[in-house]
Formats: sequence, structure tokens, C-alpha cells
Amino acid sequence: MIDPIELMTLFLFSIIVYSIPLLYGTVGEIMVEKSGSLNLGVEGTMAVGAVIGYIVGCRADSIVAAMAVAFAMAALVGALFAFLTVTLQANQNVTGLTITTFGVAVYFFIGNALGNKWPQFQDSPGFAEGFSVIRIPFLSDIPVIGKVLFSHNIMVYMAVAIAILCWFYLNRTVPGLRLRAIGENPAAADSLGVKVALNKYIHIMVGSGIMGLGGLYMGLNMGGTFEGSNCWINGYGWIAIALVIFVNWSPAMAVAGTFVFGFFNTLRMYNGALASTFPEVLGWLDDIPAQFFSALPFIITLLVLIIDSLRKNKRSGQPKAIGLNYYREDR
Amino acid sequence: MTKLHLVRRTGNTLLRRIICYLAAIAISMGIGAILLLSLGINPLDYYSDMLTVGLIGNKYAYKSVEGFLKVFVPLLMVSMALALSFKMRFWNIGGEGEFLIGAMCAAAIAYRCDGMPGPVVLILMCLAAMISSGLVGLAVAFLKCRFNTNETLVTLMMNYIVLYAVKYIGETKAPWNFFLREDSERPLFAKFPDNAIMPGIMIGRFNLLYSVVISVILTVIIYIYLKYTKQGYEIAVVGDSINTARYAGMKVNGIILRTMFISAALIGLAGAFSASASATVSPSMTNNAGWTGIVVAWLSKLSIPGILVAAFLISLLQYGCLAASLSYPEIDQNFADLMQGMILFAVLMSDFLVTFKIVRRKETES
Repeated sequence: MIDPIELMTLFLFSIIVYSIPLLYGTVGEIMVEKSGSLNLGVEGTMAVGAVIGYIVGCRADSIVAAMAVAFAMAALVGALFAFLTVTLQANQNVTGLTITTFGVAVYFFIGNALGNKWPQFQDSPGFAEGFSVIRIPFLSDIPVIGKVLFSHNIMVYMAVAIAILCWFYLNRTVPGLRLRAIGENPAAADSLGVKVALNKYIHIMVGSGIMGLGGLYMGLNMGGTFEGSNCWINGYGWIAIALVIFVNWSPAMAVAGTFVFGFFNTLRMYNGALASTFPEVLGWLDDIPAQFFSALPFIITLLVLIIDSLRKNKRSGQPKAIGLNYYREDR
Repeated sequence: MTKLHLVRRTGNTLLRRIICYLAAIAISMGIGAILLLSLGINPLDYYSDMLTVGLIGNKYAYKSVEGFLKVFVPLLMVSMALALSFKMRFWNIGGEGEFLIGAMCAAAIAYRCDGMPGPVVLILMCLAAMISSGLVGLAVAFLKCRFNTNETLVTLMMNYIVLYAVKYIGETKAPWNFFLREDSERPLFAKFPDNAIMPGIMIGRFNLLYSVVISVILTVIIYIYLKYTKQGYEIAVVGDSINTARYAGMKVNGIILRTMFISAALIGLAGAFSASASATVSPSMTNNAGWTGIVVAWLSKLSIPGILVAAFLISLLQYGCLAASLSYPEIDQNFADLMQGMILFAVLMSDFLVTFKIVRRKETES
């Protein structure tokens, strides 16, 4: 029998752990979408960043190297997306989907090619050390909350910091304002002298880089073992795309929104334990199929999409020009 | 001062396009060859294994053709159906979900109508698949027309909701669940009764399924529909400019609703064919046709003959990698995805050379 308090702590702790990759993916995708590009390649971008970042991190035995490479490789994938859609005017949906197929295939190709030469996380002490828990002094001593909120590894804190930074950047700075203008009406922004293409490139690359960090985090969270059947990212990229809608294109809301989705995800893994520990209150959890929890993020997002459009929501954060390429001479 | 400048090309670009695409495929295969070399595999051997899909020197060559058709036919049908909606610039990316809905509804008929004559069951299965899937497409189109809901995101979400619903049915043992085998402890989708399995014409030992024949006929019908009928013309006008269509007095919403119904119904039919041909269903039965179909439709510029070629080549790649993985265990089917990605990137880049022309322009200082 598990101690109820311990179980609740573990449950809440896991929510944070499983939300963080979504937070990276969502914030990254918000940066991309705010520039007016709908990038459906989140899954692939995360996969490329994850696998290359992980391997370099193991070789260099440093988490900084892993994060830098994950960011850089994912940004490179973003540059490919930007080159195809911004410079070459290719269709965004098709390009994004192909990046997903391609990125996940890169993950499997590298994994299969390395075979048993795949680096083990435990063999790189410096890397493992860098990913270990950093307990925030005093705060982490608070019962329950201390464990849940203040005993995580560096990448968890960084995700929240990046989300807040991106929110500040988008809403309180001039470059952020310019970016939003491009997402709403690129022609108008262009006529005011904003460099549309350059801005799109920068933000697609930075956003993709952030996604790459999320991929790396997922890989490390799974102990860095390559599985021939399942990609590390395992659909989180798609949930991130859904989350962008759910949090109404706001990085600050993304922090709260990812915990809602992370909650459902964790509930799927813990519903049995919760139901048996609290039979009176949570016994009904046992009757809900696991697949329902998996589908819930998508069901909620679908409802949000429909309700938003029913209300003709004027304050919707969806960029008006999303999904449309901008070609100056088509005006 | 000279400046590089983009200009749209005009006139017939078909020949140029074909040359560019061949070059794109060649470049991708070149990169693929380098990757294979890095694994210590002779790329020529691998490619010849892949492209012949194990036909040569194989006693069961007809099996290879049947296997290839099981990949090719769904992909062809889904790509054509998606092209119908893409022509209106309606981004139906819900192929995966619509395929599964069709397959599951067909399966429900198959399991429930045991004992009825074969042709009746098969027709009922196809109708159930087309209507159920078509209604879902209609619902998405209705949301788009009435409330301007983003159809890309709606259909994307729908894919996953349907996928998890199918997984739920496939993994839950319950008295109501007639989809599963009764004699098995583990939850497994049951095999269809004999009357629900797609029959075929035997040519020697090769079994040419009726679904293959029908899909070829459908290809011709859709080609004629798009090219020579009033409705096909309306689709093209709506895609070109909604305002033009309105000025011309077309009922734009009606056209969108009708076309989306047809598009989704065709994908549902592909699902029913696929289920009936393999005599069962599974969450992975789409073989990613819903996703790959988007790429195929786009690669071929939404033209039906183009789709025929592109779907054939992509199926050859997919099925060829599967066949070659028998002799090269270190390379699995994901290599096909890798190649597919590179080919599409290369084609998108060459598209640019087809549609745009880079001109050097002397800028006069004023």
C-alpha cells in the first residue's frame, strides 16, 4: 500500500515532468506561428534536436553541449522550413508534414546505424550530473510543494524561464510587436519597412530551436535509450500544436495550459494507483479507459477551436495570416 | 548596381517540370547512396533490391505484386480524394481519421452481417464507410462555411481522436465489443467472415482484387469529373478565387460542402477496401496513407495523372524498402520515410525553379 501523501506528491511531480516537453514544444510553435507560419513539423523538429543533441552530449559529456546542439540542429530544421516556405514559397502544411516524416526517420536512421554503439547515458557522468535534480534552497524543503515544484533538473526551470521570456518579448518589446504585425498582416508590416522575410527566418529558427530542447528533455527523461519501435517524441509534437490553440497563442498561458494537458497524461499512468489508494473519492477513475485520457488533449482542443469560432472571438490570439505565404508581388 | 529579382514564369512548364523532378529524385537518391555507403552497404545492390521489390528470381512474385497493390491502392485513392478538397484550397488533412472511420464502419457491417450473401455485405460495407466518413467531412466543411473554423486544425485533431477511439475498441474486452475475437484472452480484432472478404479475379495464381479494378475505374471517373463536368469546373473556380465564384453566381458553400463530402467519402471507401482486402482492421492499417496522400497530392500538383505516377513511385519506395529490409536488417522501413522526405524537399526546391525565374535587374539610381 502506498502512502497517500507520497502518492499525491509523486503524481503532482510527474505532472510537471511530463508537461515540460510540451511547454518547450508549445512555446517554440507559438514563436513560429506568431510569424504567420503554421509549422506542422514540431514532432520531426523535436526528434532531430533530441537525437543529435543527445549523442553529442554523451560524447562531450556535458549537458550544455547537448542543449546547444539540440537547439542548433532543430534551428537548422527550422531554417529548412523557412527556406522552403518563405524563400521558395512552398506550401506550409506539406512542408511541415514532410519535416515530421523526415525528422522521425532521421531519429530511427541514426539509432539503427549506431546499433550497439549507441551511447549510454550512465557512461557520461558529467552529462548525467548536469541533468540531475537541482534543489532550490529553502523552497524545496516545504513539504509536498517543495518536491513538486522546486526539486527538478535544470531543463525544467529553463522551460518556464523561456516561456516567460517569450511572453515578455512578444507583448512588451518592439521586435515582438513587429513580429505580431507580420503574423497578422505581412503586407502592412512590409509597407512600414519591417523586414518580413528576415523576421520570419529568425523566429522560425528560434522557435524550432526551442522545440529541439523539448525533444532533448524527452530523450533524457526516458534515460536516453533508443527503442527501435517508438520515437522518443511519441506524439508530443502534435499535442504541442493542439496546445498552441488551447492557450490562445500566449506563452504565459502555455505554462498553465501544459500543466492541464500534462495532468491528463499523468492521470493515464496513475489512474490505477489513484483509484486503489482513494477508493471512495477516485474509484471511478478505474472505469475511464486510458485511450480517453490520450485523446482528451485533442478533444478539448477541437472544442476550443469550434467554440472560439462560434463566438467569433475578436480577441483570439490566432494570427490572421497564419498558413499563408507572403509574396510581395502578389498584392 | 545589379540586383537579383524573382519573376513568375508564364507559359507551358510541363517539360521543365519533368526534368526538374527527375533531377530532384536523382539528387535524393545520391544522398541516400552516401548514407548507405556510410553504413557499409553497396547502394547499387540496395537500390536494385528496392526497385525490383523482390520480383526477380522469386517463385512467389505474384505475392509481391499483391503486396505492392495493398500499399498502392489506398494511397492512390486517398491522394485523389485529398486533391479534390485541396483544389478548393480546403485543407483537409484528416485523411488518417476518415480512413479509419470508413474501415471501422465497414468492419461493423462485416461482423454483424454474417450469413448474408457476399455481394450484399460488400456493398453495404462500402456504403457504410462512405456515408460515415462523408458525414464527418461534411461536418468539417459546415464548420468552415458557417463559422470559418480553421479546417486544417480541426481535421488534425480529428485524426487523433479517431485513432484513440479505434485503439480503445481494439484493446477493450467487453460483452458489447463485437469487434474482437471471442476465443482469445488477449484483445485482438477478429478476422472478417468469408462473405466480407474482397473477392478477386484469378489470373494464374495472381488474385486481382475487385477493389483494385474499382479504384482504377474511379481514377478515370474522377479525372473526367474534374476536367469535363460543371461541378469539376466549379471546384477549380472556388479554389482560384472565392469572390470570382460568387460573382459568377455559384453557391460557394454548397460546392464546398458537396466536394468535402465526396472527398471524405472516397477516403472512407479506401478504408473499407483496405479492411476488406486484409480481412481485418487495426489502428495502424492506414499505413500513413492519410499523411503520405497529402504529399502525393501536392507533389503531383493536384493533377490526377500526376497522382497516378507519384502514388506509384512513393508506393514503390515504401514497399521496396520493406522488401529490401529482408536482406538488409540494419535498414528498416524508416529509410523509405527518410528518402521520401529528401525527395519532397528536393522537389519543393525544384518547384521554385519551375514557377519562378531569377532575373538580374540593373537598378537605375534615381
